Amino acid sequence: MRYFSHQNVATASDGVKSAIECEGKSCFIAGGTDLLGILKDDLLPSYPEKVINIKTIEGLGNVEGREGGARIGALAKLSALERDPTIIELFPALAESAASVATPEIRNAATLGGNLCQDTRCWYYRYPHHMGGRMDCPRKGSGPCHAVLGDNRYHSVIGGKRCFAPCPSDTAIALAALGATVEVIGADGERSLPVEDLYSPMGNTLRGGEILTNVDIPAQPKGSVQGFKKFTVRKPIDFAIVSVGARITALEGKVSEARIFIGGVAPGPYRDEGVENYLRRKPLDSQSIATASKKALLKAKPLSMNAYKIDIARSLIAELLEELTR
Amino acid sequence: MSSKPTKWVSLTINGDNREFAIGGRAGELPPSETLADTLRERLGLTGTKVGCDRGSCCSCTVLINGAPSLSCMTLTVECDGASVITIEGLPDPLTGALDPLQQAFIDHTAYQCGFCTPGMIMAAKALLTANPSPAESEIKSALGGHYCRCISHYHVIDAVADAAGRKS
Ligand SMILES: Cc1cc2nc3c(=O)[nH]c(=O)nc-3n(C[C@H](O)[C@H](O)[C@H](O)COP(=O)(O)OP(=O)(O)OC[C@H]3O[C@@H](n4cnc5c(N)ncnc54)[C@H](O)[C@@H]3O)c2cc1C
Ligand code: FES
Ligand code: FES
Repeated sequence: MRYFSHQNVATASDGVKSAIECEGKSCFIAGGTDLLGILKDDLLPSYPEKVINIKTIEGLGNVEGREGGARIGALAKLSALERDPTIIELFPALAESAASVATPEIRNAATLGGNLCQDTRCWYYRYPHHMGGRMDCPRKGSGPCHAVLGDNRYHSVIGGKRCFAPCPSDTAIALAALGATVEVIGADGERSLPVEDLYSPMGNTLRGGEILTNVDIPAQPKGSVQGFKKFTVRKPIDFAIVSVGARITALEGKVSEARIFIGGVAPGPYRDEGVENYLRRKPLDSQSIATASKKALLKAKPLSMNAYKIDIARSLIAELLEELTR
Repeated sequence: MSSKPTKWVSLTINGDNREFAIGGRAGELPPSETLADTLRERLGLTGTKVGCDRGSCCSCTVLINGAPSLSCMTLTVECDGASVITIEGLPDPLTGALDPLQQAFIDHTAYQCGFCTPGMIMAAKALLTANPSPAESEIKSALGGHYCRCISHYHVIDAVADAAGRKS
């Protein structure tokens, strides 16, 4: 890895200040499991002069129960979330999504904030700079999206624009289904936004120097059930080809609210209102599930090699909802 | 390149205290150096193997404060105060006797080329410390990220289960 200087910061506002002073020539590091790969392959249009370590910020590593919901610090490790009794009891979808990430070794280092903010895994974007030169693309500031005419089997089937890479984060999908918001601090103070709004086709929507500090999950509605399911080729290590996070609330035997988010198919968690609308006011049973799941991704515009993701999404939704009826 | 003196980090590696001056000058440890490079290139502890150098194969696994961790995805500068154990730290320092896990790997020939073996053993060590009699499914999930090009996985599972039995 090429040389960079390194700074530990003690507070989030120090981190923001330090990044702004560097005028775009710095990166934040949390667990480093994503960032170090990016720096080793020299993918960024400008290599950082300074890496700012945010792991030294106090008080962002905890899970705190709050009125039936929870506030999770951005520095909480994925390995802690998969084992946390509060998370397992109240937000099993999040626990399952955290446990499904990568490998035990990565989950020991990877943070929730880093998992949400990680860069795309598009294999064109990730092509190492030192192997025959940089593969430029819209995310790197110039050139076309190579996935459009190239091998796009793992790319988005809906919502791509200029860049067709899907959101790689598993926890984002579960958190979106749970209605979670993220809190962000930047030069203009704090703001908070729904998890799904953290994503755009060109990457996450954090502005320069902003740090994601906390994730807030609201208390879940009475009578709701939730889950997360992920399709991969290998069980460990692999990113989701497709994943689904769902929360279904039922009143007197009928669905009053459904939140269905699909991962691996769009630049962010894709909310499938077609499925949600069909389920509303119906009992959640094999019949409604079979019909609802076929309504998933009806608006998709797959690329040349990835229409198969639509079938997988429909099967995953059906499997997950069936499990939630048990 | 930074010329300011000097920040120090100190960590213990296999029980020995090590201190490094951090910086960009000759003899200093660059902040961009990974723990894998420090172990192998700076300290000659070449038992830790670097396969992918990208977090995807687990061959570089060492124990950092007891947790199996990827040394290729860890900056040494961020290990201040940490205790690191590598494969060289497993045998008894006085007698040189191998750890029961190492012996079990030998007895089961749980390797072919041996490149993935140190990482496998370190992750298995952490597993057995936390869970002295793991079920096969637990062994598989603890070692699920460890890539073996020679398909030693089946023998590895036997070796770890055997080592667990020998201990109890
Ligand atoms: C082999 C392998 C397999 C993987 N499989 C999966 C998988 O199946 N599912 C999945 O979801 N992920 C997977 N990942 C990705 C992994 O989960 C991420 O690398 C990890 O979660 C990132 O967390 P981190 O703390 O290490 O982030 P870092 O690497 O430290 O940071 C990642 C990025 O986010 C930024 N960042 C980090 N924290 C913050 C913050 N609080 N505020 C603002 N910016 C921040 C950093 O600047 C950097 O750009 C895999 C990675 C590898 C190497
Ligand atoms: S060398 Fe570190 S994970 Fe492959
Ligand atoms: S024994 Fe050769 S890589 Fe595992």
